[in-house]
This record gives sequence, C-alpha cells and structure tokens, in this order.
Amino acid sequence: MAKEGLLEFEVFSGGKVIIDISKCGDCMSKACIQICNLPTMGRVLELKNGRPSLKKDLKEIKKGGCTECLGCELECELRGMKAIQIILPTPELDEYLKEIETKGMRPVYKVSGRSR
Amino acid sequence: MARFYEYQGKELLNKMGIPIPKGRLATSPKEAREIAEEFKRPVVLKAQVLSGGRGKAGGIKYATTPEEVEKVARELLDMKIRRMPVKKILAEERLLIQKEFYLGATTDPSSRRPILILSQNGGIDIEEMARTSPAKIIKQQVNILRGLREYEARDFVRKTKGLSGDQIIALGSILKNLYDLYRKYDCKLVEINPLILTREGRFIAGDARIDIDDDAIFRHPELGLASTEETGERPPTKIEIAAGKIDEGDYRGTAHIVQLDPEGSYAKEKGKVPIAFDCVGTGTSLTTMDELVELGYFPMNFADTSGNPTASKLYRATKIILSQPGIKGYLFVSCVSSQQLDNTARGIIKALKELYPRTCGKPNIPMVFTFRGGWDEEAISLFEDHGISQSPWVKILGRDATEKDSAQAFDFLYQEWKKATGGIKN
Repeated sequence: MAKEGLLEFEVFSGGKVIIDISKCGDCMSKACIQICNLPTMGRVLELKNGRPSLKKDLKEIKKGGCTECLGCELECELRGMKAIQIILPTPELDEYLKEIETKGMRPVYKVSGRSR
Repeated sequence: MARFYEYQGKELLNKMGIPIPKGRLATSPKEAREIAEEFKRPVVLKAQVLSGGRGKAGGIKYATTPEEVEKVARELLDMKIRRMPVKKILAEERLLIQKEFYLGATTDPSSRRPILILSQNGGIDIEEMARTSPAKIIKQQVNILRGLREYEARDFVRKTKGLSGDQIIALGSILKNLYDLYRKYDCKLVEINPLILTREGRFIAGDARIDIDDDAIFRHPELGLASTEETGERPPTKIEIAAGKIDEGDYRGTAHIVQLDPEGSYAKEKGKVPIAFDCVGTGTSLTTMDELVELGYFPMNFADTSGNPTASKLYRATKIILSQPGIKGYLFVSCVSSQQLDNTARGIIKALKELYPRTCGKPNIPMVFTFRGGWDEEAISLFEDHGISQSPWVKILGRDATEKDSAQAFDFLYQEWKKATGGIKN
C-alpha cells in the first residue's frame, strides 16, 4: 500500500498498477477480481472487506506473478468505477516523439479533426 | 546482429592489442583537413557506413595535401552508399602495402565450434574466393572450452607460405588476440580484411568488421549498444531502439519491430500508400505484406508480436508502431495462433484509448484487425465492448478471413475513408 486509499504494485516489464480502492466500496461488479481470477490470468487480486487486495507478495508479483493482461483496468473501466490505472512507461518513445515534434512532425493520432 | 562501424571496430581491435593505423574520425571537411595537417603525410579517407561494397561505391579515397583532403572529405560527406548518407569519415595515415591478408574468427554452424580463417589473398571478397579458389583459404576449428593457445595460433599461421619467423610470431599473436576478442564480446564474426603487411614488415589492421550476437548485447553494457532487431546496413532508428526495449529482459512472447522505410522516401518514390502494420507470426506478416503491396500499400514496418506476449507488450508495440510519421492506415493480422488473443486485444485497446482519448479509442485512419486462433472470439468481443468496432474506420475480421481477405478489407476501408474524409495530412 503506497498512499492512503491506494493499492499499488509494480509489474515485471517496468510499470505499476494503481487501484484507488476508495472507489471500490460502491462497485457492484467487482469486475477486476473476476477477470484476474480466470484460469489463464495472474490471480493476483482477491476481495477483502469488499475491496481488492493482493493475494501474492509484492516481490512475487514483480517477478511475473502479475501477467500484465491489463484485464483489471479495462474491465473496471467498462463495468466498475474507473478506479484502476496501469502505467507502462515507454521513455525511449517519449524521447522520440519530443524529437520529431521539434522538427514539426507529429504522429497520425495527434492530427485532429478526422476521428468519428 | 549488432554491427559496428569500422572506427568502432578498430577501437576494439586496438584495445585487444591488435595494431591499427593512426587515424581519427571527422564529421566535416574542415576537421578532415586538420587531421591531415596534424599527420603531415598522405591519408586515406573512408566513409563510415555499415554496408558492404563501400570501396566499389567510391567510399574510400586517397588524398595527399590538406587542401585535397578537405575537397575529398566534402565529396564523401555528400555521398549516399546504398541509400545511407555518409555522416562520418575515418581519416587514416596511408600505409605502404607489401601484402594483404584476410583474418577472421566466426562460428562454424556445421561443427558448432569457433573457426579461424586465414588467407594470403586479403582485401577481396572472401565468400567469392571461398567459391572460386578454396585452396587459398586455410581454416582451423577451436575447442571452445580450451580456447586458443599462443603456440596453436603460431602453428596455424605457419601453414601460410613465405613468412619469416618474426612475422609468424607477430601474426600468431594477432590471431590469438582476434580470437580472444571474438570470445570476450560474444561475437558472431570478427574479420580483418585486409590485414596489411607493410613494407616495413609490420602487420596492421586495414579494416575491421565486428558483429556481436544480439542475444548477448545485454552482457556488454560497456559497448553502449541498443538491443534492437537486425537493421542490416543502417544503424537502428529511435523507433527501433524503443521497440527493442520491449523485449529486453522480458521473455514472455516477442515483439519484433523493424522499420522498412524510416524516412518514407521509398513509399513516396514508388507512389505507395504508407501504412503501419503488426502481425502474429512472421509467415502471416510476410504473406499479408505481399498482399498489401499488390494493392498499392507499403507497410512502413515489419512486426511480429507472437509467442503469447503479454498485453503490456502489445500495448507498447502498438503505441510505437502507430507513432511512425506519415502513416495512412493500420493493419493487424494474427495467424491461426495458439496465443491468448484476448490479451493481445487488451493491449491494442489500451493503446488506442490512450492515443485517441477524445474518441475513446476510435481512430482517425482506417484500421483492420483480424483475430484468428485462441480466444479470438473474446478478442473480437472486447473491441465491441469498448466501442472501437463501432468506428466507421475499423473493420474486425475473424477466423474465416485469409491474409488476402484482410488486405482487401483494408483496401476497401481505405478507399471509403479517403472518399469520406479526403485523407489525412501527416
């Protein structure tokens, strides 16, 4: 537990999962727990006192215990309280994007006005 | 395979005690002139590129006076060798050549042992010589556990005719150091061609080619190499370096990404529509690329995200692939794979939602996704659940679709998108 109301853990590829468990009390679906405990998933999360908690220790999770399926974040977004954020840094890409910006170039997703 | 420029290779040779010519790197004609003034003797100027055939392409020139050096350096720095611009030149003292040798250490795939190669006819294409005059090349396997002893190296070089005792000792010592370099840096190939015997009777490395095994790069942080895919005759791009980081140290599946036309010049020259691309499986990747090229598109990258990668790998790979400037579409095709395609889909969906936050992941360019294999129906459902399938510019195909179907669906969607939006300027 990093900060009050937050459940945080690091993952193998570099990055972290942050769950704002202060929102989880009102969640009816507990979708993160369901998906995490499917047979092919990491089985990292469990429900304790109506909120997500860790089944494994932080070391084990960081060594690959969490399979980084991203299911908890996406399911929470669809059926939960939008309480989960997974941060997966790509510093080399960020550096590249900054560099091309200085040359007046931008990737297609930054070109506005055409999405529907 | 990580490849070094000649000047970097020579630095490594020098570190291992192999004599190299006096020389320095120049990035401008003025710098080259200053080097010539300092050397006070004729120099050879060599374009620093990773491609072979540099000599034949005019990438090696001689100059006598500092003025001439400046002029020749300007010519070289204006050159492109096999489409790669020359950005650096190596200015070296010109050696007086008595004889040229070939010296190499590589891995023999048939015996699965290191092999030493020596020829008295250096300076030419060794593969060609192996085909036309194999007797001019001598080889010897090395027991990798024992290594190469000094006396064994001397015994080996003694097989060449016409060398004096001192020269056998000197050449044996160079061969031993070359083998030690090959082992120390986990090389696939170390080659000195030509190894020059000067008129003064000294052996000096005239060139250097060092290729390091990609899988061993992490063991040599001191070399400052990026873990990227094989990029052939050009250095890796920033996109490829970013992509190389995805797999570095993460054994769960793979993400192989190589840019095929980093500057977009080829697609433009051929009048093809540049698109981004990802596949599960190299066979599917190549087949789909063939279909796309037939239809007038040019995949700006090769990608293979297979071996059941994590969703986080797909997330990073998708972000990187879609960051290539100038792309007008995106195609993802899985082979009939055993990997968990729902995880693949989650990675792509998270990337799209992050890249297109305003439209909740709906893109502004045509995108086709073909999911075939394990958990393919779940993957398709996820795209529906997250609303991305509802975009007019997204087409999702399932296990009945072939590579050709995927390319044709993309073509149809692209034409519709172009008609409706007028395309995109990026």
